[in-house]
Amino acid sequence: MATPLPLARRHRLVLLAVAVQVLFILGVAAAGYATTAWGSTITLRTTPVNPQDLLYGDYLRLTYTVSQLPIGLWRETSRAPKANEPVYVLLQPDADAYAATGVYATEPAPGPRQVVLRGWITNSWRHGLRIRYGLEKYYVSEGLARRLKKRPALLVHVSIAPWGQARITSVAL
Amino acid sequence: MSRNFIETEGPKWVARGIISPEQQQQLLALYPDEGRVVGLLPLLGSLLVGLSALSLIAANWQSLPETARLLLLLGSMGGAYAGGEYFLRRGGNDSLGIGLVGLGLILFGISIILTSQMYQLIGYDVTGLLAWAAAGTALTFLYQSRFLFSLTAAIGGIVQGYSTGQLSGFSYFTAALAVLGLGYYWWRHPDAVLGGILASGILWQAGLLINFLHAKITWFFIPAMLVYAAGDWQTDRPAGRALQAPPLIAAFLFTFGLALYGETDTYAGLLRPPLLAYLGALLVVFVVSVMGKRVRGRLGSLTDWLLLLPGFYLPSGLALAVATLVVLYAYSGAVLWRAQQEGNSDRVTLGITLFILTTMAAYFKLTWAFMDKSLFFLCGGALLLGLSWYLRRAARAALPPKSK
Repeated sequence: MATPLPLARRHRLVLLAVAVQVLFILGVAAAGYATTAWGSTITLRTTPVNPQDLLYGDYLRLTYTVSQLPIGLWRETSRAPKANEPVYVLLQPDADAYAATGVYATEPAPGPRQVVLRGWITNSWRHGLRIRYGLEKYYVSEGLARRLKKRPALLVHVSIAPWGQARITSVAL
Repeated sequence: MSRNFIETEGPKWVARGIISPEQQQQLLALYPDEGRVVGLLPLLGSLLVGLSALSLIAANWQSLPETARLLLLLGSMGGAYAGGEYFLRRGGNDSLGIGLVGLGLILFGISIILTSQMYQLIGYDVTGLLAWAAAGTALTFLYQSRFLFSLTAAIGGIVQGYSTGQLSGFSYFTAALAVLGLGYYWWRHPDAVLGGILASGILWQAGLLINFLHAKITWFFIPAMLVYAAGDWQTDRPAGRALQAPPLIAAFLFTFGLALYGETDTYAGLLRPPLLAYLGALLVVFVVSVMGKRVRGRLGSLTDWLLLLPGFYLPSGLALAVATLVVLYAYSGAVLWRAQQEGNSDRVTLGITLFILTTMAAYFKLTWAFMDKSLFFLCGGALLLGLSWYLRRAARAALPPKSK
């Protein structure tokens, strides 16, 4: 410690720094509540997954019907999708869950009843593309996870905030 | 000379009548226990305690109510910071105090991750983790601690790796935090160890940026040599040299690779950025570096730039490999020569090592294809043994005896 700050001053600044960190974490929690409060809720259907590899300790690994899409939904005409590219997926209601109507590289303007969900392309091939939404892990207690994994397909409620933040609010049995 | 050395050697000097016991005490008093060493054991201890508590809580995490989880996170973080501050104020156990502050910083990052997990929030950008790196930088300045500096450099590297790997975006804020925040700290408190850590952290992020931009890997040497040039301007010579070591190691390894694989055009072709843009940028950095060397009176180290000669623009083939080997020989020869001028035995060893490495590459390159393999290894071994023996003898003869 070369030239330490005066002790009283450092003490005040440390208090401030720790207070800011506490507030930041509370802010993350608040963002969770705010996303539910002000967001629009959509329902996504998962694909049936082999029940044996569904359970990973404290989270459930989910794959959605919108996780793998036909290449025809790629709306950028000038170029092919690239791996790891961030994308915007336009969704609209279809029966009991939402379905994708287009995949865009820049944020599209959603029509009425449509919503935009962000994601990343994990890979693409001649006929389709696979998208990661960040919603693939659902953190639950092991007991609930065990009950959920017996279902062939789940309906997952997702809140999307006007500022783009998204979270899983619940998984319907 | 360290206190430790006098403590162990002092009694012998007293016994031989070189100094009196009083003089030994006076000498010891000249080197007070500084307590600025990182103090590994308390740090490891605090890490282990933190990890074990974490695993215990993690086992029951999902069954706890949300508010309890939040309070647990905030409480352990606040507790670690308060404990650190307590030990630092009480004095006498500074490394434990700093260790606890570091634990608090780690818990801050863990709290961010677990809280967003608790609310199933998705991170679309790296803002949450950026706050972690920012907190580390602030604490480094507040406590002026080398441990917190290193921890923050590592956190910056992790955040950037997560950002480019998972979120497909380079976080320029995180990079700026490392360069401007930690860089400024190092500039005001020059230190050899921190110089090496800072340079490594910045080079890691520069590498991620080049990879993210899908640019030719040779562009890496523009930011790398900017770091090097910053070392030229630093008034504290050992600290500046430490900052320059990682860029030089990268440049040496790259040139070494070019000597070994430069013959094939597919490889050399991967390295060629647009000629004018690359050379122009390199020239600017070169000028900045030379000006620094001039102002600080270190023009002798100009030979470092030999490694940056853009030989990969030459048509690939054996000629390119040979030209690269010549550059490597010139560089390691220059290191040896400078070390001898300065009478610095550590650098003589470094020069010898580089020289031998280059010889290995040259030998491999020039004889592998048309020499019987057993003869190849025999001659190669004999060549290296002979060379190292000769170089060490020459170095011993040239360096002044250490006792003077």
